Amino acid sequence: MEKINFILFIAAVLLVPVSASSQPPLYQKCLLCHGRPGFKKMMPGGKVLELFVNKTELEHSIHSKLHCTDCHADVMEIPHSKTPGKVNCFRCHYKDNPNNAKPANEFFHSIHGRLLEKGDPKAPGCQDCHGGHNVQKVDSPLSTVNHQNVAFTCGKCHKQQYDNYIESIHGTALLDRHIQSAPTCTTCHGKHLILKPDNPEASIYPLNVLNVCSKCHENKELIKKYNIPGGRISTYRESFHGIADEFGSVRAANCASCHRAHFILPQSDPRSSINPKNLAKTCGKCHPNANVNFTKGKIHVNYKSKSTGILYYIGMFFEILTLSTLTLLFIHILLDLFRRYKAGELSKNHRHGE
Amino acid sequence: MNNRVQRLSLNQRIQHIVLLTSMIILLLTGLVLKFHNNVFSIWLIKREGGVWVRGLIHRTFAIVLILLAVYHIVWVTFTDEGHRELMAITPGRRDFSDFFQKLAYNLGLSDNLPRFEKYDYLQKFQYWGVVAGTIVMILTGLILWFVNQSMAVLPKWIIDLTLIIHGWDGVLIFIVLFLFHMYNVHLNPEVFPMSKTWLDGKISIERLKQDHLLEYERLISEKKDGKN
Repeated sequence: MEKINFILFIAAVLLVPVSASSQPPLYQKCLLCHGRPGFKKMMPGGKVLELFVNKTELEHSIHSKLHCTDCHADVMEIPHSKTPGKVNCFRCHYKDNPNNAKPANEFFHSIHGRLLEKGDPKAPGCQDCHGGHNVQKVDSPLSTVNHQNVAFTCGKCHKQQYDNYIESIHGTALLDRHIQSAPTCTTCHGKHLILKPDNPEASIYPLNVLNVCSKCHENKELIKKYNIPGGRISTYRESFHGIADEFGSVRAANCASCHRAHFILPQSDPRSSINPKNLAKTCGKCHPNANVNFTKGKIHVNYKSKSTGILYYIGMFFEILTLSTLTLLFIHILLDLFRRYKAGELSKNHRHGE
Repeated sequence: MNNRVQRLSLNQRIQHIVLLTSMIILLLTGLVLKFHNNVFSIWLIKREGGVWVRGLIHRTFAIVLILLAVYHIVWVTFTDEGHRELMAITPGRRDFSDFFQKLAYNLGLSDNLPRFEKYDYLQKFQYWGVVAGTIVMILTGLILWFVNQSMAVLPKWIIDLTLIIHGWDGVLIFIVLFLFHMYNVHLNPEVFPMSKTWLDGKISIERLKQDHLLEYERLISEKKDGKN
């Protein structure tokens, strides 16, 4: 047996230069069983475990050049006698890997990673998002974590958020109109470093929400290209909510408090939280007894813009009044000083004359 | 030799100290919010204990200012002293001619200084400026303080307008008090570094003669009448 293995090993080494680019030899050996469609096993409890591995899928994955046992490392002999355990991606993509430490390091810091380490059965591992045999580079349209596909992947667990997102302006822009600049889950939540909203490090922590939204909503190019309403971020920053947020109040309303996090819709949509019909309810979350008065006037007010009408003119009036008061007071003081100086000179001369 | 005469009563001096304390704190906690985008404001808001405590301090001293305003109104209306002072500081036609006379003098067009009573036109302007400013600040401030209640009856754009007025009025008060008043009672070469009237309530006879000649003459004649 050992001899056969040795011969196989030599053969493998010799064959590698010829066939490695298409398929490693061990690959074929496994596919003798796992390449048969319908290869499955009945588990105790009646669950059926699909054991078929799609060869084409494997050949097109980013790991096409690896051997099966590179990942299924607990398989010591073929055919294997024991049921192999779950694949551990961290064997290669380990923490502090000098080539690319970021994904694993971030993952173990994230809520998913922490729950996984705690042994939460619902916590996702790498394969739950990236796929197993079909793992692809993120920019491949086939990748489960591609910009276009990742929402569906997250939605496998986060169903309600997914349902809201696909109805939202962001979801319809990306999924129906295929606008690649439109955000998906990872745009706001991050990729590997996903944290809970009550964690101050999270990108969606109340005080960080403005930064997340401003990446696009303060981007002049995007605003122009897609005709997004401008000045949203700057007006928020000047508002009471914005100033309180700037100085660290988590109670103050941030973007998502009014616009919602996933079910974001344009004002014109009757389902939108900022539709005039729903505004009293939205503001009422913090302002008790909010009524129709909240709809009489703009929310994102920039009184330096003529479109705000009376606010613009009153603001202007005060600016002019302030500037002119300042100027007149200065002139008055200067004249007074000047005359005192003159009078002083005169009295000196007088004394000299005497 | 006593060469200083009484100008402000103890009551007036206490009112003045309460006013200046509340004004300084209100302006420090208020203007940093209007101009929050600079190093100084950021530093100060943090010193004030963050944006929430800042608001608490602002509203506390707003109450002080409101109580003072109420007391002042009662004082000028129902006490002899208050009423006399109110009459003395009420502007008349004479103040306009005084203003032009002083302007002509400062420009070198005339050599005659206008002659003033106890309060000259500038002091009247400052007093009524502060009165008007304080009334506006209290009204707009209350609307903003009780925003949930005021929005039950007022539309959003009125609240926005109130905020604009409250902010700018604060700036105006700051200019009038801290630039003008600073010059007149602190930096003015005649009183530098500070007029002490606000502490002991007294003014020197020389300054009284120079700045409030009519009052000086009136006081002299009253004294003579008293002796006779």
